[in-house]
Amino acid sequence: MDVIKTYGDILRRKAEKRPSAALKMFRFGFALEYQKATRFADRALPSGYREIYRAAVRKTAEILSDPSKSVWTNIFGPVEIFQCFDLNATSMEMLSGFMSGFRTEDYFIDRAEDAGIAPTLCSYHKHFIGAVEADIIPSPAYIAVTSAVCDGNINTMRYAAKKRGMPFFAVDVPHSDSEEAEKYLTGQLWEMIAELEQVTGRKFDADRLSETIRRENESKRLYASFVKEANRRCYPNTLTALTALLYPTHLSVGSEEALDLFRLLREDVEKYPEKECTRIMWVHLFPYYQETLKRYFNLSDQNYISVYDFAMDYMEEMDANDPVKAIARKMLRNIYNGDFSRKARMLTAMAEEFQPDGVIHYCHWGCKQSSGGVALLREAMSEKNFPMLVLDGDALDRRNDQDGQIRTRLEAFLEMIKNRRSVKR
Amino acid sequence: MIGYLCKYAPVEILQAMGAEVSLIMPDASDYSRADRMLHPNICSFIKGVLETFAGGGYDGIVLTNCCDSTRRLYDRLKKEYPQKFIYMAEIPRTAGKAGAEFLAASAAGLADAYTRYSGRSFSCSALAELLKKKREECSARKADAGKAGEYRPPSACKAGRKSSPVKIGLTGARCSRSVLDRIESYDIHILFDMTCTGVPGNFSVPDQILKAVSGESAGGKKTREETAEAERRLLEEYARQLLTQIPCMRMTDCSPRERLLKSFEDRLDGIIFHTVQFCDNYSYEYAALHGNLSVPIQKLETDATSQCEGQIRTRLEAFLESVAASKGISAPQIIRQKREKHRKMGTKLHVMGIDSGSTSTNAVIMDENRRIEAYAVVRTGAKSAESAEHVLREALEKASLTRQDIDMIVSTGYGRVSIPFADRNVTEISCHGKGAHYFNPDVRTVLDIGGQDSKAIRLSEDGDVVDFVMNDKCAAGTGKFLEMMARTLEIDIGTLGQESLHWKEDIDISSMCSVFAESEVISLIADNREKCDIAHGIHKSVASRAVSLMKRVGLQPGYMMTGGVAKNPGAVREIEEKLGEKLFICEEPEIVGAAGAALFGLEELLGEA
Repeated sequence: MDVIKTYGDILRRKAEKRPSAALKMFRFGFALEYQKATRFADRALPSGYREIYRAAVRKTAEILSDPSKSVWTNIFGPVEIFQCFDLNATSMEMLSGFMSGFRTEDYFIDRAEDAGIAPTLCSYHKHFIGAVEADIIPSPAYIAVTSAVCDGNINTMRYAAKKRGMPFFAVDVPHSDSEEAEKYLTGQLWEMIAELEQVTGRKFDADRLSETIRRENESKRLYASFVKEANRRCYPNTLTALTALLYPTHLSVGSEEALDLFRLLREDVEKYPEKECTRIMWVHLFPYYQETLKRYFNLSDQNYISVYDFAMDYMEEMDANDPVKAIARKMLRNIYNGDFSRKARMLTAMAEEFQPDGVIHYCHWGCKQSSGGVALLREAMSEKNFPMLVLDGDALDRRNDQDGQIRTRLEAFLEMIKNRRSVKR
Repeated sequence: MIGYLCKYAPVEILQAMGAEVSLIMPDASDYSRADRMLHPNICSFIKGVLETFAGGGYDGIVLTNCCDSTRRLYDRLKKEYPQKFIYMAEIPRTAGKAGAEFLAASAAGLADAYTRYSGRSFSCSALAELLKKKREECSARKADAGKAGEYRPPSACKAGRKSSPVKIGLTGARCSRSVLDRIESYDIHILFDMTCTGVPGNFSVPDQILKAVSGESAGGKKTREETAEAERRLLEEYARQLLTQIPCMRMTDCSPRERLLKSFEDRLDGIIFHTVQFCDNYSYEYAALHGNLSVPIQKLETDATSQCEGQIRTRLEAFLESVAASKGISAPQIIRQKREKHRKMGTKLHVMGIDSGSTSTNAVIMDENRRIEAYAVVRTGAKSAESAEHVLREALEKASLTRQDIDMIVSTGYGRVSIPFADRNVTEISCHGKGAHYFNPDVRTVLDIGGQDSKAIRLSEDGDVVDFVMNDKCAAGTGKFLEMMARTLEIDIGTLGQESLHWKEDIDISSMCSVFAESEVISLIADNREKCDIAHGIHKSVASRAVSLMKRVGLQPGYMMTGGVAKNPGAVREIEEKLGEKLFICEEPEIVGAAGAALFGLEELLGEA
């Protein structure tokens, strides 16, 4: 019997009739998952990733059980500021991603579509809206999103906030990186800080934010050095582990917890030997459930995802002495923000630094910002002689997954790059 | 000529520099270039813009950082046309003072960039001059619209017929010219157009600010600082006015949209809500409005090509028919079709309804007592008119009547406009509603699954259409889908349903797309699964689409299923299972639409309509 499927089926029925019971089941499910990640984790997965996954599950469980300390945001939200008010940032992407582990994503996505939300919207957003509609996620203390990278953020959060009768703060991140843009954005962040002071009844502590930024800088240095080492060696990973990696690189970046995780990663990588294998640079998102990709990449020392662009979308040193402005700069200069030519330039530079055998770009259903640029990126990669594979699918909704198509493409691509490698030698 | 797309684009800057600008309203028929240069899953409107721009005639384009699709269009055009003026204007999403300052800087940036491109220079006094002219135009237009009680940006939908008793509001994402033409062709009064097609509505920069730029200050010649200050104020005021238009959905505060809509609510009979495929921004507003308004709302999704014309027409006309019915007005008055009295005195009346569908063409002959005298069902051939001719002959034969005995013929279905001998046509939505009510007055929710489309219709107690939805442009969940699957399984379509009833293993067919579902079925066959189990999975998938469609109109008990798929016991059982209720199915579920059409004819002849 498939336990998760049965669990999911019960959840679905509960969600229909008694949302509070379904929320209890979700909480219970996360508690179980946390126990599993603590006691029965696959030892083949390096301890760095094991701990990252455990931390992310623990945080999600915490947000579901104690929502009064949580902030709904998106993956590019100004999380450093929330930390200074002792608030836990959770993004709609993370909530949707983890909740879909119970294989109930179809139910929540259909709920959103039944309400009139466009079927062509990103599944992370649809899932989040469906879960809000179904009253499964408890309301947070505060809601704030940025307009950066993804144009659905503001609309999705505005919709969700209205459903819960809560105000929401929208941080408008300009497209270009200019002095005026920086001023405009910094001003908004200060406005948000003032609002947070009111909501929490606490004073903003600028020194604390500076500390956070220092930890963030240190984390980035450790991660950069980890990637360099991991690229030389083979530090096995899984699609799920790499997705969970976005928790310390984004949602909890700057915290003590995240810094510890990066220290662990950096130490642990040394235990792994150098290895001859096919190295892949991955762009954008992982469909963590996808059978073929799991078979080829999970814990494999043959086909190894050595670089993940999303985890390195902003690696510059931040100015801890002017922390709010530093956060504004981080948003403006993220590789996903601004002209695509800049992103293409930065990704090809990344490829040149780490020399993968091939690049895989996963086009997630409904994500126009990445899909729309895929042709440009492929051209840029091919100019630098990096073969690039484009896979179309859905990182969340299993119903939009075409395993047969992915399998044929991936296998052909791997054969092709292996061939190139042997010719090179 | 410089093209632009967005009402927030500061194109007055370019006009003040002597450039000619024009709003791009694409009407492409093919997106092959855009699919290749961008990606198929990108907003259809943006794909259309790319096709239009690539078609030539523009020296450049001013885009705005409005949405992800627009941003990627900019990146593509920038690379593709290095010699043209491809510019991305930064537009803030907030309309306050900080936003206006930022937009003013962005407008100045546009002026600089255009100077570099064209060599022409920008002067604030030319802008002041232009804004003064625009102010006069705007106030004239506003007075005009004010008299008619409308809200209307200048280049948007025309008002339609002010004398019409049917008052409609248009909102959502921008419509293509052909959709606007279609909407304007009906005899309706359009009270407002809130789609983002329009260009700025309200330029009213005060004289004081305009004059300060060109004129002299009180103390004689202005200092350099004074000039700079006057110019800054002008640009900022201009930016402020751009930003305080009725917002589009990209802005952080959209409440003015709601307020505008509310202010019209008591005067409106219905709202047409347009959305563009792969533009998701407006669906949030639709979701918020749907079910929370006192007036009916009709979603109209297009992919901005001329190819969806037929679908748009059916949805629009069905909506207008139901709006008209609620006001006690006969639909043809609105849809403006020829109407002739056929009433002959003293003889028995016979009317015929013909439903020209993609798979079958069906006819019903009815007498004046609403009794069905005969019906016929034939397969639709390559030409709908020929099949209609064929079904006409067969029905007449069965009823032992001649063509001359028929007083009126009403056509319905996709092919309804191609039947030359029909006296009038009514959409299949209204006909199915009417037909369903005729067969069983307790029916409130009708599910019709035909060959190429499926729809759910909610009826009032009197059998009027209250709400309806149709499936999107895709075969999944339709009769065609079942036919494809039966062929793959090598089972006759007639026995597919029967076969599936013997299932043992519960299989899910998860693919939403019929093409992918087919490959999923093929792998299940390769996996040696039982045919009956696969067939059961296929029916479950159809049922889940169908019930989801029904949910969208609201599950009102009193369920009826019509169309060819209602003859498939496997599909029917799965739908009933999902609904937890029995479906009412009449003896010949394919003639419900034709019966409804005949009833429309009868009502007209008897003067009930």
